[in-house]
Formats: sequence, structure tokens, C-alpha cells
Amino acid sequence: MKFQFRITQELLNRIHQDLSRPHPVAQERVGFIVCRVGAASTTQIMIAESYVPVDDADYLASRTMGALMGPAAIRKALQHCYQTKSAMFHVHRHEHRGLPSFSPVDVRENAKFIPDFWKVASARPHGAIVLSWDRACAAVWDPNTRAPVPLTSITAIGFPCRRQGAAYG
Amino acid sequence: MDKRHIRQSFLGNEVGEVAAMAKATIVGLCGGGSHVSQQLAHIGVGYFNLVDHDRVEDHNGNRMVGLTAEEAERNDLKVDVIARRILALNPNAVIHRYPTRWEEVAAELKSSTTIFGCVDSSRVRDRLERFARRYLVPYIDVGMDINTTSLGFSISGQMILSLPDHPCMRCLGFITEERLTEEARRYGHAGGRPQVVWPNGMLASTAVGTFMQLILPWSKNLHPPLFLEYDGNRMTVSPSHKVAALSGRCCPHFSGSNTIGDIDWT
Repeated sequence: MKFQFRITQELLNRIHQDLSRPHPVAQERVGFIVCRVGAASTTQIMIAESYVPVDDADYLASRTMGALMGPAAIRKALQHCYQTKSAMFHVHRHEHRGLPSFSPVDVRENAKFIPDFWKVASARPHGAIVLSWDRACAAVWDPNTRAPVPLTSITAIGFPCRRQGAAYG
Repeated sequence: MDKRHIRQSFLGNEVGEVAAMAKATIVGLCGGGSHVSQQLAHIGVGYFNLVDHDRVEDHNGNRMVGLTAEEAERNDLKVDVIARRILALNPNAVIHRYPTRWEEVAAELKSSTTIFGCVDSSRVRDRLERFARRYLVPYIDVGMDINTTSLGFSISGQMILSLPDHPCMRCLGFITEERLTEEARRYGHAGGRPQVVWPNGMLASTAVGTFMQLILPWSKNLHPPLFLEYDGNRMTVSPSHKVAALSGRCCPHFSGSNTIGDIDWT
């Protein structure tokens, strides 16, 4: 199964604006991109519909992590997923240009909570996406295999249609 | 860089890769669609979904680019004719042929880079645009018309780019309930609409140019035109004034819940 991720440039801009806001406790911000899914025979397309930032009060102080979500943040995201039956993508940003990649901390933490979304939307792919200032990298947890796979086809639809990931699709 | 891309290297070092990975869906393969297919093949687009339920006939010969007399006599499928022309230009192209109505293969069109609507029907245009918006696929519509006037005939046409967060064909007044109603009223009346090759070529070229601006902009601040109007009597192509009139307005026709992605009945 192949995966694509599509987002309008307008929504991506709004996400970047939110992630740029300073936080009193955390060094960086995180949120969730709420996606709908388009299914074809060999491809699933994640279509970003909206963005849900993690509330200011739901970050925990941490000396080792740029942003640490508290249990309330996870609970709210699960609730939103349950109510909308959406595909949820955790999003944060690395502050540089060029293709980003998940840090070892990202990989470890994503593996802990991304599969939890299947408890409330078992048939949906869920995942994580890390942005840089101009590119993106993502991983999607395939509901059929229950395993994460890299998602390199990430496109921002606008003027122009910008390839964000490593591949163009 | 592959030698075939040397003359289009101004589009960037990645022109070959980006074109090869682009997936173009072309619905309607006669007047406008044959031109679009040909140009995309020349550019090096790598994936094609060709959608047309029809077979070629003699009367297609006046405007279907690449159609041979032999193919017309055999009444070949239009998807086969166009596929052969594409492969002759780009043997590496991956082509999916759908000799059927687009709705029957809609699932396979969701992953398109762009959908080109080269059809005669407003109803089909309307549905294609709705589909494209649902999956965040840029939709480019081309079409021409020949109308009777007091002085003879007038040739006109349009190229419309429909993108999420931008005016749709209903916003632009191109798709209207009156037009759809009139089309439904005329449904089944015999006789094809007049069509000739040169307006289709003009409009298809603007469509392909717009597509290229979307995926490989060659200048900063390039802003593809949303609506170009073709006056075939004056031989002009001009941006429609309707776009400026809609500046700053959000499209109300594709907002709200359940307008994105597959319809979830659960």
C-alpha cells in the first residue's frame, strides 16, 4: 500500500504560524493535523482537513524534550479522533531549511502514542509529521500491517503545488 | 540531466524527476484532451490516466491530434489511440487506460497530480470539479464553443484552474443551475456540437502551461491564471475580469463538514 499526504498551502501556513508562537514552558509547540482519507486500490491519500493545536496548559515542563504533551493533550486528541473518525497526524517542527527527519526521541515517543489512535479509529491510518521551514517528513501507521512506514509523498496544494517530502506525488 | 530535458532545463534541475513522477488524469481525449496528452508526453510526464468511453470515428479526424485515418476506420478506442501516441513520444510512460465513464474508475483518479477536464458537458465538469476538490487535486478545465451570431459565427472558449481555497467554477459563473438545466433539457437531442482543432490547441496549451506553473514554476511570484477566456474571432486569450471581482472572497461551494476525503457512512 502506498500513501500520500496532501494539505492546502493555506492550512500549512496556519500550522507554521501556530508552531512559531512562543510557549511559557515548552521550547517548541506541537499539534495534530486532522485528516480525512481517500482510498484507491493501491494508494491511500491522507487529506489534511484541519489543525488542532495542543493547548498551552497541556504541555509539561521538561528539561530533556522540546515539547512534552501531558495526558490531557493525548486525551483531547483521542476524543477528537473518536468523534470525527479521522486520521490523526501529530505535527511539530524542526527549525531549519531542507528535508527534516525524525529524531531518536521523535521515533521513540511516536511509537508509544500513535498506535493508541487505533483504539478509537481502528480502520484509519494515523501518523506523525515533522516540518522544517520548507519541507516535511512523515511516517504513517498502516492499519492493515499495524506498522509504521515512511511517507515521502507530501504535497502542499497551492500556488505552486510544493513538494514537501522527498518524493513528488 | 537527460538530453530530452536540456531545452527545458530552465524549469530546474529536477524537471525530469518531477515530470516523471507527475500523474496526469485526462478526462475526454478528443479535441482538447488529445492536445493535452501530446504536450504532456513531450514534457515527460510519467503517469497517465486516460479516461474516455468512446471510440474514434471519421468526424473526429478534424480535431483529434494524432488520430490516423486507419484508426478512425477501425473505430479504435480513444484511450488506445492516445496511449499509442504518448508511448511513441515517451516509451517509459505508465498509462492506465479507462475506456469508460470517469465515475466508474473514480477511486483510481484520487491520487492524480492534476485532473484535466476536456469534456463537452457542464454536468460532467461540475462533477469532476467536485471530485477533484474532495481529494485536493488541482482541476484544469478546457472547452470551446461555436455560437451563431447575426454576423455569422463566434468561437469562444475557456481554461479554468480550480484549486482548493480559490474560486470554483460556480464562483466564476461558469457552472450555473441555468446551464445545467438547459443541458439536461437538450439531453438526447441528435447532433454533435461544432468543434475545430485550432481553438482546442490554443486552450490546451494554456492548460498545460498552467499545469507546469503549478508543479515547476520558472519564475518567482508566478501566479497561474484561474480563468482565461478565449475569443476565437479576435484571436485573444485574456484573464477573466470575474477573478478580480472575487478577490478576497472565500468559496462557499466546498466548505463544511464531509467535503473532504471519502464519504464516511459510519
